Amino acid sequence: MKIITWFGTLTLDDYGKVLEWDLFPKDTSALAEILVQPKKVEIDIPPACFDIRAAAIECGFVGSTEEYNTLLRDVSIRAAKKQISGGTPDMGIIQAVEALDDIDDAANTLSERLAEWYGMYFPEVGLSSEPLARFVAKYGSRSNIPTDGHLYEKATSSMGAELAGPDEELVKGFAENICTLYDSRSRIEDYLVKSMETSAPNLVNIAGALIGARLVSMAGGLEKLARFPSSTIQVIGANRALFKHLRARAPSPKHGIIFNHPQIKNSPWWQRGKIARALAAKISLAVRMDVYSDGGLNESLKTELNAKIESIKAAHPKPPKRESKAGMGKGKGRSQNKQQNKQSNKKAGGRR
Amino acid sequence: MSTKEMSSGIFEITERGGKHLATINLVPGASVYGEKLIEIEGCEYRIWNPKRSKLAAMMIKKFNIPIKRDSKVLYLGAASGTTVSHVSDIVSEGIVYAVEFSPRTMRDLIGLCDMRPNIVPILADANKPQSYAHIVEEVDVIFQDVAQPNQSEIAAVNAMQFLKRNGHLLLSIKARSIDTVANPKNVFKNEIRKLEHEFDVGFEILDSRELAPFHEDHLGVMARVLRVRK
Ligand SMILES: C[S@@+](CC[C@H](N)C(=O)[O-])C[C@H]1O[C@@H](n2cnc3c(N)ncnc32)[C@H](O)[C@@H]1O
Repeated sequence: MKIITWFGTLTLDDYGKVLEWDLFPKDTSALAEILVQPKKVEIDIPPACFDIRAAAIECGFVGSTEEYNTLLRDVSIRAAKKQISGGTPDMGIIQAVEALDDIDDAANTLSERLAEWYGMYFPEVGLSSEPLARFVAKYGSRSNIPTDGHLYEKATSSMGAELAGPDEELVKGFAENICTLYDSRSRIEDYLVKSMETSAPNLVNIAGALIGARLVSMAGGLEKLARFPSSTIQVIGANRALFKHLRARAPSPKHGIIFNHPQIKNSPWWQRGKIARALAAKISLAVRMDVYSDGGLNESLKTELNAKIESIKAAHPKPPKRESKAGMGKGKGRSQNKQQNKQSNKKAGGRR
Repeated sequence: MSTKEMSSGIFEITERGGKHLATINLVPGASVYGEKLIEIEGCEYRIWNPKRSKLAAMMIKKFNIPIKRDSKVLYLGAASGTTVSHVSDIVSEGIVYAVEFSPRTMRDLIGLCDMRPNIVPILADANKPQSYAHIVEEVDVIFQDVAQPNQSEIAAVNAMQFLKRNGHLLLSIKARSIDTVANPKNVFKNEIRKLEHEFDVGFEILDSRELAPFHEDHLGVMARVLRVRK
């Protein structure tokens, strides 16, 4: 069996005895370079009881166990430095978030085109964006919908034109391309979830991976985000000039990205500002933990946040009445309340 | 001021009524994370605070720490190297393989490795021992402090690949990273049961004690590998 070690590839017999070896150049930088490269799959790792150190000496790669230690240490340090200087994971996160927005832009434009195009042939389809693209990529002409397909009735009675031949091929291919965009989108999302969980587990726990990734991206990195006060975190993403793509998805351009958080989105409007403030405060703590402490997940943040949200909900079960403003004006709570009401009124006004 | 060697390379320093744990500084003059340095009879010690280190807490809790001067140690969850630095002091003639998967923390750890001759830093996920099996040799001790829900699995796969027969596993189990709501006592019981019965590698639990008041809801476990691996 052929195995790889940090100093070369070895061929072993069934008992783990080294038969042949092919050593790497004995040069710290070259060895480090090899160490950081992804390993080839057809080569095995050393078996569990294999003595790598003895093998290195036996092959004459190093002369002594001291030399083995020194060289391995130097190589590993060099390799680790290479690995972390290849950009911190948040650089990858920033790029991925931006790619996501670009894909959404492109997919929206193309989906609109598809809707219009396919509408000539099957105006009753009642689908748009991803479902429409998947549908067209699968069936092409409505005549291909199977009798048990749920759009079959609509398809047979459609007043759209017949779609066949080169037209059908073209439309179908176009839809397939849109589907690959959506596939790529979901791969990017998976990537974001994974890399956020490794580099910012506490942020993920509080904000969710995707909102967390957006915060990181908009702040320009995890460490930068950790330096933002929570009042800033609350409005990150509200700047629509900078983040035009976001606008379409945000519930209101006046609010930051954290307003997409289910805890806020699913709460009645008069509670949202307060919950946002509590959430932003916890997000700020979570990010600091991720950046400055030894890692690991601190569940108490989430527990505290949930308790805080419960108490906000309990204290404000009903929408505020305008008159109540004067009655409540006591001490320092006043200006805050005022602001809150202003915001809420605007929001409510905008909805009518 | 007096010193007493409690375990190989681990000392108890008594000064003005107070007792501290300490290790002999392998790099005299350098404090790693702000810990106090004390010189006694020409030897420089680094004070080791059990609140900042699970291993120090285990020492105070009277675990029979199996790390010797020439031990080879695989350290999983090295973080920025607070505890690793003391292990490096203890194994002055051995070696520490320090695995950490967060690149951010790795940056600090590398700073430490640069200053010390016996730490091999490895940026890798401890769930995947195969990703560092071409670097790490068979070791005498695995120390693990990763605060992950699947802590015992991580210990098992690493012991399987790297721990020598009769080698020791030192494990810090954080109840909250396994189950946030359950009673820590039950979590611990269950993890111990898992370690004893669920893995091919066959752990024999030698000792287990809670690490409070130094680390709340943490259990220290020491185990030995019984069976020969497949
Ligand atoms: C509680 S800290 C360790 C503190 C350290 N033992 C000390 O006393 O100085 C846990 C560390 O384990 C790391 N970690 C968590 N899961 C890991 C994994 N699967 N592989 C490698 N490291 C991991 C975290 O990044 C974090 O730095």
